Amino acid sequence: MSAITPIIIAFIVISIIIAFAIGANDETFAVTYGSKTLTMKQILILATIFAITGAVLLGEAVSKTVGKGVLSMSLTDAITITVLLSTIIWLIVSSVLGLPISTTHATIGSILGVGLLLGGAGGIGWSKLFELSVWWVLSPIIGYVITFITYKLLHKYVINKLNGFQQFERAEKVFALILLAVICWTAFSRSGNDVSNSVGIVVGATEGTIEIGVLLVFTGVSFAAGIVILARTLIKNVGTITELRPSTAFCAQIPTAIVLFFGTLFGIPLSGSHMLVASLIGLGKAQHAPKNKGNIRIVLIWFLTFPMAAILAIIIYFPISALIIT
Amino acid sequence: MKLIKEKANPLDEINKKFLAKTLEATNILHNRISDLIEGKIDKEELKGVILCEKECDKLKEEYIKILFKDKKALPFLVEDRYKIITMVDKMTGKNELVARFIRAFPFSIYDDIKEQLTEFNELYYECIKDLIDCVTLMETNFDGAFQKTFEIESDRRNAKKLKYRMFDKLYKKKDNMLQIYLTSKLIAYTYDVVDAAEDISDYLRGLIIKYPSK
Repeated sequence: MSAITPIIIAFIVISIIIAFAIGANDETFAVTYGSKTLTMKQILILATIFAITGAVLLGEAVSKTVGKGVLSMSLTDAITITVLLSTIIWLIVSSVLGLPISTTHATIGSILGVGLLLGGAGGIGWSKLFELSVWWVLSPIIGYVITFITYKLLHKYVINKLNGFQQFERAEKVFALILLAVICWTAFSRSGNDVSNSVGIVVGATEGTIEIGVLLVFTGVSFAAGIVILARTLIKNVGTITELRPSTAFCAQIPTAIVLFFGTLFGIPLSGSHMLVASLIGLGKAQHAPKNKGNIRIVLIWFLTFPMAAILAIIIYFPISALIIT
Repeated sequence: MKLIKEKANPLDEINKKFLAKTLEATNILHNRISDLIEGKIDKEELKGVILCEKECDKLKEEYIKILFKDKKALPFLVEDRYKIITMVDKMTGKNELVARFIRAFPFSIYDDIKEQLTEFNELYYECIKDLIDCVTLMETNFDGAFQKTFEIESDRRNAKKLKYRMFDKLYKKKDNMLQIYLTSKLIAYTYDVVDAAEDISDYLRGLIIKYPSK
């Protein structure tokens, strides 16, 4: 490992800040809040534990994928810092508004902005971008459809067989326990997936000069801090997209958990946020729940994320590149 | 043979005691109304209704404390259970009102309404008994509880018919106005208990429909 230069220190600091920003926009435990399985205090404690352990144990697998192939030019320090900063800004803005966005979208949007600025159309690895885009479009569709089907099957073969308060309560308690286990597993694997967005760029830019294990510990802690400090409004907003009980929350969480797990294993940067939100919307449709007008704001910010991250990156690039040159 | 002893559910235990006390109060009042109709009432025995109502109040408070302490209970179930016990408690309060009224009632029952009042009294008892059964069945058998709600509705409908038939006879009398008035109040107060029971049964039916099971 070569000597730690000021620019490497800057990367480390920024990647820790971006981990904070990603944590601030983490809605993994939202369904436990919405179904009243856990209180907010309990959520924050568990989220912290799994944020750190997931980042350390799983973050390495994906972090070598993000950042490579999307940009058809070398990752300079200015580009790296620009991408990270624009992602941070958009994540924090969305978190303060209490709206979940895809960290991957924000990151890739920033890369797209810088790539177009510096290299025009030739600056972007369009085939790689297309490959990622396919998964971003597919993940909410998969989430919606699987949750819809899961709910209908569960309702027909399990919920409809329950008779009386006591059976109902017992069944919901079982679902609450399973939901908790699945959520913790999701938080663990999502942490690995999401922390890679902050670490991946740094790995790509520094090409092995950073000890990734140490960086994952710091980013994991920062990720947890983001959840504790800024994610409450987001958790409440996502948790109330539709009416939830432990059994219905289970239906929404299962597709998210399974798909994210395999995504993390195979190094596919999936959008956990989009999947979960789409799952909850699908659940609302399946149980004929009243529509939540807040869903429009969530969908709107999804569409805005890519262009806004790109625009922010373009704006930030000039002062950053000037600063690095001087 | 059960290998694992089932853990006693304190909420369930108190609920059963509460419902048993409510039924006991209803039974005492039903018997006293029968005695009143026959002209051989011992008004001191009506204290039993008042004591049962006080016991119900204590049991209700205990139930509510456990309900809110019990972290295992699901929040929406907590709210529904709370509503059920408070509604039944209010109905028991109406029983107490009837008992206190009869203690102060200085007259005997008119001969021409005795038969209808007897039938009315039986309907009153059946209605409350059906309600207690319905509330008990909510814990283990939504189907059974659902059927009971229709029986309660039928009891109330018949009680209402009898009430107005008796009023019809009473209001045509040219007699002691106070006796006519107080007799009609006795019927009206007793009917209020039946009406409250039917309100509770309507609420329970709404719950059964709300809970996503058949």
